[in-house]
Amino acid sequence: MTDFNLELDARGLNCPLPILRAKKSINELESGQVLKVISTDPGSIKDFDSFCKQTGNTLLSSEDAGSEFTFLIKKH
Amino acid sequence: MAKRLKAAERKASILAVSKILFADKGFHGVSVDEIAQRLGVSPAVLYKHFDSKEALYEAVLDEISCKRESYVEAVVQQPMDFARVLEAMTRVYVESIAKDPDYLKMEMHSVLEGSAVTKQFFENRWRSFTDYIEFNMQELMPKEKVANINPKVASLMFQGMIREALYAKCIYHSDRYREIDLQTLVTTLTGLFLVAIGYQQHTNIS
Repeated sequence: MTDFNLELDARGLNCPLPILRAKKSINELESGQVLKVISTDPGSIKDFDSFCKQTGNTLLSSEDAGSEFTFLIKKH
Repeated sequence: MAKRLKAAERKASILAVSKILFADKGFHGVSVDEIAQRLGVSPAVLYKHFDSKEALYEAVLDEISCKRESYVEAVVQQPMDFARVLEAMTRVYVESIAKDPDYLKMEMHSVLEGSAVTKQFFENRWRSFTDYIEFNMQELMPKEKVANINPKVASLMFQGMIREALYAKCIYHSDRYREIDLQTLVTTLTGLFLVAIGYQQHTNIS
């Protein structure tokens, strides 16, 4: 499992809150550092994919554990 | 005799016709026979794809939820300002509903029909707004950037306002608001909402 520098618990939050929280958390990171996000909103798989495409950050992994989703995002 | 279609095409056409009928008449107002008749096929063809009318209705809802509007662009392109993000999200939602008012009609029927599954589905759809408003108001209140108002009540106000505007413009086509286009109406209402909650302009939420 890849290391991460910051973890964001976005469980129970509906779109767009996980994205907004992630945007805020990424601002706290240095370039190349990794943010881990855990969410429960099923739409977040699509949302984080599109978030990374639009912001130039890299989606290192996107895991679907049924009711919980984990994303690792590397800051641009 | 109806043209023979591939299974996927048949399924898509069943969903499209069902959505129109459910929107016009509600879940209880439509029978499987009627859907089949409209499609020019026998009810057996429908049952080959869907076990029951309930399963068909759920599939229609599922399809709507797959096409769920994405707020990512609205959020990413805006500075993290409570009002601007809310305005951008509202624009996205309203555009999506205006393109497909059938969804709104299904929501209206579901309110009266009282099925738990559909009620939850439609409530979820509004949760993007109610959660967003509640969460941010809770953070802005201690900083005195919004008035001390119950965020749940405030988000209900917002939902009621926007939903009524959508009803007036997309369903009733009310003469009273004819000269105001939908986006102007919604932008003005959002502005009124921000005044009502005592929002201090351009408050950074990050």
